Amino acid sequence: MSDAAKKLLSGIALLLIGGAAIGWIYGRPDTGLLVAALLALVWQVRQLLSFDRSLRTDNFDDFRVGEGIWEQMFSRFRFERDRAARRKQAYRELLKEIRKSTNAMPDGAVILTEENEIVTCNRAAKALAGLKRKKDRGQRVDNILRDPGLTKLLQADDKSETVEIASPVGDGKWLNCRVVPYGADQKLLLLRDVTERMRLSKMRRDFVANASHELRSPLTVINGYLDALSDDEQIPPGWAKPVEQMQGQAKRMRKILGELLELSRLEGSSTVKEEEPIDVVALFENAQQAFEGHANLADIVVNADSKARLRGSAAEIETVIVNLLSNAARFTPTDGTITLTWRSGPDGADLIVSDTGEGIDPEFVPRLTERFFRVDKGRSREDGGTGLGLAIVKHVLARHDAELTITSEPGEGSEFCCSFPTSRVVVSPLVALS
Amino acid sequence: MEASELTGHISRRFDKDIEDLRNNVLAMGGLVESQLSQAIAAIVSGDSELGLQVAKDDYKVNNLEVTIDEECGRILATRAPAASDLRLIVAIIKTITDLERIGDEAEKIGFLASKLAAMDRPADSYRELKTLGNHVAHMVRDAMNAFARLDIEEAWETVQEDERVDEEYEAIQRQCITFMMEDPRSIKRVMNVTWCARSLERIGDHAKNICEYVIYMVQGRDVRHTLGSEATGSETSE
Repeated sequence: MSDAAKKLLSGIALLLIGGAAIGWIYGRPDTGLLVAALLALVWQVRQLLSFDRSLRTDNFDDFRVGEGIWEQMFSRFRFERDRAARRKQAYRELLKEIRKSTNAMPDGAVILTEENEIVTCNRAAKALAGLKRKKDRGQRVDNILRDPGLTKLLQADDKSETVEIASPVGDGKWLNCRVVPYGADQKLLLLRDVTERMRLSKMRRDFVANASHELRSPLTVINGYLDALSDDEQIPPGWAKPVEQMQGQAKRMRKILGELLELSRLEGSSTVKEEEPIDVVALFENAQQAFEGHANLADIVVNADSKARLRGSAAEIETVIVNLLSNAARFTPTDGTITLTWRSGPDGADLIVSDTGEGIDPEFVPRLTERFFRVDKGRSREDGGTGLGLAIVKHVLARHDAELTITSEPGEGSEFCCSFPTSRVVVSPLVALS
Repeated sequence: MEASELTGHISRRFDKDIEDLRNNVLAMGGLVESQLSQAIAAIVSGDSELGLQVAKDDYKVNNLEVTIDEECGRILATRAPAASDLRLIVAIIKTITDLERIGDEAEKIGFLASKLAAMDRPADSYRELKTLGNHVAHMVRDAMNAFARLDIEEAWETVQEDERVDEEYEAIQRQCITFMMEDPRSIKRVMNVTWCARSLERIGDHAKNICEYVIYMVQGRDVRHTLGSEATGSETSE
């Protein structure tokens, strides 16, 4: 108990005792007690009213009659009030600084609620995406930036994905959007200007496509003459072998150019447009037939575990199968086996090409899908590989939302597994029956 | 009327129905916008594949129109909305019709783009169509923004923008006639260009209509066929 409280209690006690004593002298102790109690009540009520008045008028000089515990309470209140005001000021300054720094950010940032409603955004978001801080508060962000890609991104569970959308302000500008969840149920939408990057990568793609295209026409002429020469029986006998080799190399060059063009086409758009249900097993059998009859070929076994269909482009999936199969065929000895497996489960479906060939050194596995990467420089060039097959496979799979996993044991064989998500798999029994 | 005022009914479900409806209309708007910009890109870059893709994807817009239309009917029947809610539903029913038409025009442009891609290309690769197209795409975007923000000022600006689109269309028309007179062999190609311009001009009209529905929805007055002569705040409407 504080001193002031003790003083207050003892003061009241003294007053009451005093009142009772004076009453006792006059023979009326109860009246004396009552008068003393009333006096104490009046005194306290007066201070209470004064306290209330000075709080209301905010004028501390009004609080004149205060003493003891009232004065203490009053100064405590004053102290807390000043402290709160100082704190508020400090927070305000801090908020200003934070807002200043977010406004200075070159990337747009939009704070969203769980329902994708805009809470606030920084200056860059206004400039890049034409958002209005006051007017758009509470609006769903995909109502203002109405790009179907962004809507899909906001609904997606995978928060590592990004999407490029055309900026609504400024023609030809591209924004890269990314959603980062934070706090309990808030999200941050980050917008970055990628116009320049998009332009550069388009330039690179166009260059590769144009260069391949331009190289093709002179090659056609060379090919034509080489064909004519090889059919000509009058050429000196010493030239037959060189002509044949030239023909072989020209053919290889044409194949590389064709695959480069194919790659730049695949890179052009990020997802596949066709969505027909593909019978993967039928594609397996086609590929098997195409390869049978080649000399020095290992056994090809088709292992159809699933009747599920795959949604996507049949032509592209066929390219994947043929590329993986021809790789396997090149590295598997005649007495080995190549297995083509199609299986589906609750997590999606897998297309697997495995072989019992020589396998790949684990240190090279991550680099296999690079363009023109070769494990054994001399050898794969001789047997007709272009060095682009797995790059094409990777791009086709990316267009089908699939992933390529390569597992290999040197001397045991390798397994190329393409995992497709459930959204790409059709398991309808009707389709399977037809 | 503010966007936030659309909610606050005693029935929470009604709030949600209306909010979902609005979101669907805006999603449809987004789809139409992207169809339109792709159709324009197909003309400018001479990409026949892209053009055909746009033509093929029109069914998505049509499906959305049917879904939203059904939902509007359901709300009218079960909730019997009044005042601003009723205006909202009426405006939405009209807006989706115009959006669907814009989708149809985009389909047409995509188809024409694939035809044009197979023909000779002029040196400027249809710059005038690109300009008109961008102008119109801006109008559609502003119209949908006005719808989302219930912003009548933006709506009015867009309504007035239509006159400039008409002027540009007129200019392209004249240019095309000149080309055809100069070289009758180009008539086939230039006719297609004319059709494209015509479609773009129609899209501008549809965007203008949508803005008029926004004004109706917010202020409750009908500004159709008043040629945009009156200012935002004038009281002359009947």
